[in-house]
Amino acid sequence: MRQLRRFAYRLRHWLRPPAAAALAPLLACWRAEGNLAQLDWRRAELLVVDAEMSSLQVAAGELLSVGWVVIAGGEIQLHSARHLLLKPEQGVGDSATVHHLRDCELEQGIELESLMQQFLQAAAGRALVFHHAPLDLAFLDRSSRRLYGAPLLLPVIDTLQLEKRRLQRSHAPLVPNSLRLASCRARYNLPDYPAHNALVDALATAELLLAQLAHKGGAIRVGALLG
Amino acid sequence: MAKAAQMSPELQGIRDFLVQCVPFDQLSEAQLEQLVGAIVISYHRRGHVFHAAGDEGGLRILRSGAAELRSQDDSLLDRFGERVGFDLKGLELEQSGVRATLIEDSLIYRLPEESYRALRKKDRDFDRFFHSQRSRRMRRAGMYESGSEEMMQQVGDLMTRNLLVVAPTTSIQQTALLMSQRRVSSVLIQADSSLLGIVTDRDLRSRAVAKGLGGAQPIAEIMTANPQTISADSTVFDATLLMTRNGIHHVPVLEQQALAGIITASDLLLARRDDPVYLVQHIGRQDTVAGIREHVKLLPDLMVQWVNAGVNAARVSRVLTAVSDAVTERLIELYVEASGPPPTGFCWLGFGSQGRAEQLLGSDQDNALLIAEPVEGEAAEWFTGLATWVCDGLNECGYVYCPGKVMATTDEWRQPLAGWRDTVDRWTRSPTSDAVMRVSIFFDLRCIYGDQALCEQLQQHMLAKAGSNTIFLAALAENALANTPPLGIFRQFVVERNGEHEHQLNLKKRGVLPIIDLVRVHALAHGVSAVNTIERLQALADAKVMSIEDSRNLQDALRLIMQTRIQGQVRQLTAGVPADNYIDPAELSRQVRGLLRDSFSLVADAQQSIKLNYRAGL
Repeated sequence: MRQLRRFAYRLRHWLRPPAAAALAPLLACWRAEGNLAQLDWRRAELLVVDAEMSSLQVAAGELLSVGWVVIAGGEIQLHSARHLLLKPEQGVGDSATVHHLRDCELEQGIELESLMQQFLQAAAGRALVFHHAPLDLAFLDRSSRRLYGAPLLLPVIDTLQLEKRRLQRSHAPLVPNSLRLASCRARYNLPDYPAHNALVDALATAELLLAQLAHKGGAIRVGALLG
Repeated sequence: MAKAAQMSPELQGIRDFLVQCVPFDQLSEAQLEQLVGAIVISYHRRGHVFHAAGDEGGLRILRSGAAELRSQDDSLLDRFGERVGFDLKGLELEQSGVRATLIEDSLIYRLPEESYRALRKKDRDFDRFFHSQRSRRMRRAGMYESGSEEMMQQVGDLMTRNLLVVAPTTSIQQTALLMSQRRVSSVLIQADSSLLGIVTDRDLRSRAVAKGLGGAQPIAEIMTANPQTISADSTVFDATLLMTRNGIHHVPVLEQQALAGIITASDLLLARRDDPVYLVQHIGRQDTVAGIREHVKLLPDLMVQWVNAGVNAARVSRVLTAVSDAVTERLIELYVEASGPPPTGFCWLGFGSQGRAEQLLGSDQDNALLIAEPVEGEAAEWFTGLATWVCDGLNECGYVYCPGKVMATTDEWRQPLAGWRDTVDRWTRSPTSDAVMRVSIFFDLRCIYGDQALCEQLQQHMLAKAGSNTIFLAALAENALANTPPLGIFRQFVVERNGEHEHQLNLKKRGVLPIIDLVRVHALAHGVSAVNTIERLQALADAKVMSIEDSRNLQDALRLIMQTRIQGQVRQLTAGVPADNYIDPAELSRQVRGLLRDSFSLVADAQQSIKLNYRAGL
């Protein structure tokens, strides 16, 4: 359903662009999608992303940093790892205790426009992967709307949803915290990582996805994984 | 987008992991950063197989999980867990058809072939490490040999500065007189502070007296002109070589081109004062137990010196065994001196580590008396007295009483040959666990003193009885499997959970003994009469009952564990605490830890093969 809505929305923008010039970077990214959904995941490229923000409420918070890493050919490519810091509009506030980013570090950050540009270049032709996509996407979509006049509308895989479906299928009880990234990783014999840094979390999510797909086994189309 | 020239600091975690892996710990920061950027990560389920043929190559390192390597004929080559890397293409060169199977779900870091080759090309140590994996890597590490420290001492520190120098015109008689007064065996002839020649005691005899040369003749007539000299900063080794090559015993020593002293063959011998040969000789000259004990007390210090000088563990234990043999021998001699000659032939037997010539410090005594024929009355008392005297003496010298009472003082361990034969028959006929334990001690026997032939007769009887008895062999094999190497589910050292040795490994019980036990089973089954474990392994390979590879691997494993154990003891002695057999794996270097784990897995495999070969008799 969500896929359909995505295409409908995109079609509308295509036909009646609100401001064609502003939309250009996003349009380029959309065009690069091609037949991605039809490919086996090992032949496709995936961009695993994690974002840190100053609040869990979209209305109150802002993006602080984004980290990502590419999965290609069924393997995580460490050379593709990026970690970008944003120059905040407001102070970091209380969330500094969670993600260890302090104002002074963020001072050296880049502008949102530059971040989104790099992000869209990395996302072109790839499906996005998040652990708990709605939160990160809400912030990225808001940034996209602000800059390009439209949400991202890119294909998205959510490792939390994959895990939830798997647990429900095996009738395992969903206890609190059982879907957190670290809890999911532990089920696949993945090592402990220090949490809460956008790139480390992106890498941790990427490994989780590889583990989930290895356990599913066989050929899996990207389309079957999309939320 | 340009490739990252620099490692993102957030990938520090991956770098930190890599440096925990041998040999990545040897690489520079810059090399590591480059590596991290090149790594690709994959995840595979248990049961996934990597075949060498058609593999994309590169070095795979287990980030989590466990794997095993198997050869084409399905025999297990290695089994390992996280932090261990394998290069299938490289392994394929050594072992065609090799494959790696994951035995747990595994997260794998792969350094692609191109980067891996580039690194090996640039970094020689890194290359050498991977040149051939495991068994050869271990063999190299087991051979810890280096030159002895004594041989590296400087001549200047040992030479005699008390020089007798005369002018070339001094008469032969005058020179001889001066030599006698100064109690020196050589004289140097010098003019205008330049060295012209040397004359020794022997020259006086052969060149003057024997030829009837008058004492009034000048000394220059009989001197060796332009003698060989050596500089003060040369080593004992250099001096020894110079003397043996030229057949001389006196060499003038120069310091900054000027005559400074003389070094003689006996100076060189004295320099080797910590030579065990001298220790053994000294022990043989003592007349009291206290005198012997004084010499045995030197052993811990000497062992530290030997090990620090690079003497390997096998040699150190041979020397320590030679010393305990000498103590036993001297105690028996003292008893014979005091109580008269033995009423009949006998043989003093050493067992266990003494029997195998594998003793280290703190060994307890395991011994027995083998008497040629049954004795009664006074004759029996003579032997009881001997046993008591020797065992008490050994205890006083630090070889404490055997807690299991394996000593000649007990009636069971002091018997005539016929009695011993019956005992062996009984043990092998009904292999209770107690009997098996006793036989496993008894089978490692050696004649320490007395009639060697008696010992051989008994040994032949044992080999004949035990080797053909499959039920007995099965029981012995069972016993050999009682102590397993301290490896957890393929990767962690299993350390003591609590008590005095928490977090430590008992290298004797869990490392050395399992090897000794399983090699003994093979030796007994195949009638090998050697007793030393390394010799047994060689004999087993020679007799083609064990493959050369297996034999070597076990020898290497034993050497490495022994070496680790002895170095642990040296560390303890240096720190002023008594030496024991425990070691904390955390205190070992990463490389030794890796090698130790390799050794343990070899032992575990060898135990498996014992299980298959002998336990069928049960």
